[in-house]
Amino acid sequence: MSTTSFRRIVALIPFVALAACGSNGGDPARQYGSDPYLPDPQEYLLPPMSIPKAIGWKVGEMPAAFPGLKVEALATGLEHPRTLYTLPNGDILVVESNSPGTEPFRPKDFIAGNVKARAGAGAKGANRISLLRTADGDGKPALRSVFIDHLHSPYGITLVGDTLYVANTDAILAFNYVPGMTQVTSPGIKLADLPAGPIDHHWTKSMAASADGSKLYVGVGSNSNITENGMAVEEGRAAIYEVDRLTGAKRIFASGTRNPTSLAFEPQTHQLFAVVNERDEIGPDLVPDYLTSIREGGFYGWPYSYWGSHVDVRVHPQRPDLVAAAIKPDYGLSSHVAPLGLLFSEGQHLSPEFANGAFVGEHGSWDRSPLNGYQVIFVPFVNGRATGKPVTVVAGFLSEDKETVHGRPVGLALDQSGALLVADDVGNTVWRVSATQPGT
Amino acid sequence: MNHAPTQLHRDFIAAGGILLIAAFVTDCIYDRTALWQWANFSSWLITAGLIVTLLAVILLLIDFATGRAGRLNAGNFILVGVTALLSLVNAFVHSRDAWTSVVPQGILLSAVSTLLLLIAGWRGWSLAMSRTAGERP
Repeated sequence: MSTTSFRRIVALIPFVALAACGSNGGDPARQYGSDPYLPDPQEYLLPPMSIPKAIGWKVGEMPAAFPGLKVEALATGLEHPRTLYTLPNGDILVVESNSPGTEPFRPKDFIAGNVKARAGAGAKGANRISLLRTADGDGKPALRSVFIDHLHSPYGITLVGDTLYVANTDAILAFNYVPGMTQVTSPGIKLADLPAGPIDHHWTKSMAASADGSKLYVGVGSNSNITENGMAVEEGRAAIYEVDRLTGAKRIFASGTRNPTSLAFEPQTHQLFAVVNERDEIGPDLVPDYLTSIREGGFYGWPYSYWGSHVDVRVHPQRPDLVAAAIKPDYGLSSHVAPLGLLFSEGQHLSPEFANGAFVGEHGSWDRSPLNGYQVIFVPFVNGRATGKPVTVVAGFLSEDKETVHGRPVGLALDQSGALLVADDVGNTVWRVSATQPGT
Repeated sequence: MNHAPTQLHRDFIAAGGILLIAAFVTDCIYDRTALWQWANFSSWLITAGLIVTLLAVILLLIDFATGRAGRLNAGNFILVGVTALLSLVNAFVHSRDAWTSVVPQGILLSAVSTLLLLIAGWRGWSLAMSRTAGERP
């Protein structure tokens, strides 16, 4: 008798599972540009996690690049490289870092932690910055040293004059820099605190300096996907800060940017731009991550709404006044691509095609089927504005069958010769992308 | 006439049921306050309620195997079984983020589960009849 009842229960399981499955995402190209396609939001029983297994690169394997470009490994065996920065003398800094770790709050958090580990995102970062020096700009490192050690989940990095600023997850540190040095010996001096714990869900603190060097701009991510950790812990988060370089005084420059993971100034207009990671778990085609200019005092929607005034019903109580004020981002990159690197192309020597625009490193999706991102793209600019269709510059981070992932692109930089550098935090490699025919 | 032997599973059904009923209470408080920790409490209570109910089912099999239990109490079995299924769905609903992890679907499932469990509790929680003297296991 009990067996019959049990069979009934077991027979119901597929229906529960079926209800949990979401539909597949459509063509990402519909979501490129200023007017992306936005379907109705979905609510799930199970978020549609789809993560290829992280396997890294075998010797000789590498990503594929745009025609006329070649890829080589500049440095391998790094520990979770995230951000890259080229110093004036050509030395390349590699920030090796990962999340400081968060406590699970709900049964769901345990499962999410396991999924992340499978995808290679659970690896421990080295909490250090390494220096790479190439002998003659040919992309072969002649020297590699630990530049700064014992940092606390560092991410953003920028040099102003003789001071190197490093954005740890909880503070900006200032280090005295002497050209040619291969190791920083003096301790860092704290310039300003940054919002970190408790939780520190989106931990990266991206950073860029204004053209005149007087201000630093810091991207601070939200403390949750969509306020599920309460509104109190979102105080001062999902925002871009302006920090005075001399006094360390800081203020919120723009807000409502869920996770602004990379900041850069457009070279012609000196306008601040950001790539922003939008919210999850309302569908494979929601919400498009974006590249946008950042207006002073601007509010970009999170958490109350997305892409302007599209209300997110998961947030309660709502704020219609803020929804009405929410700015539509400039340029959609399509959903769940996880843009982590932004680099304006001025100074590149890859191809005339990339003369004016921005490279974007897309770490790749985890809650979308089919997968999206896992590439470096180029977004063309005209008169200081993102215009037209993006072009794939570096791909091949995924296996052909999309079952396994060799690497995931993160931060970008140009080396002194104008080659594109790509940090890969699953392959633990820095890739150098250069023109096959030099001088083109 | 001997006393009927204690059924091992019964108290676990009651304990699991009370955890699931408590989730309805915390859902109600979240609905009133929108304070996130109440939604987290619900999530944990439902998960714990399901685990304890699973233990109870294992103990029920032991009760049958060792002759502690008589025939299946079909009414209670259906009440608890339906509640367990609803609560499994509810655990997934509660795994959503923020407001819609509770309102409206989560709290509705919690309310229906609570109603079914109160009936099962009033009927004595046990999923099996007591063995009467002389009945074969």
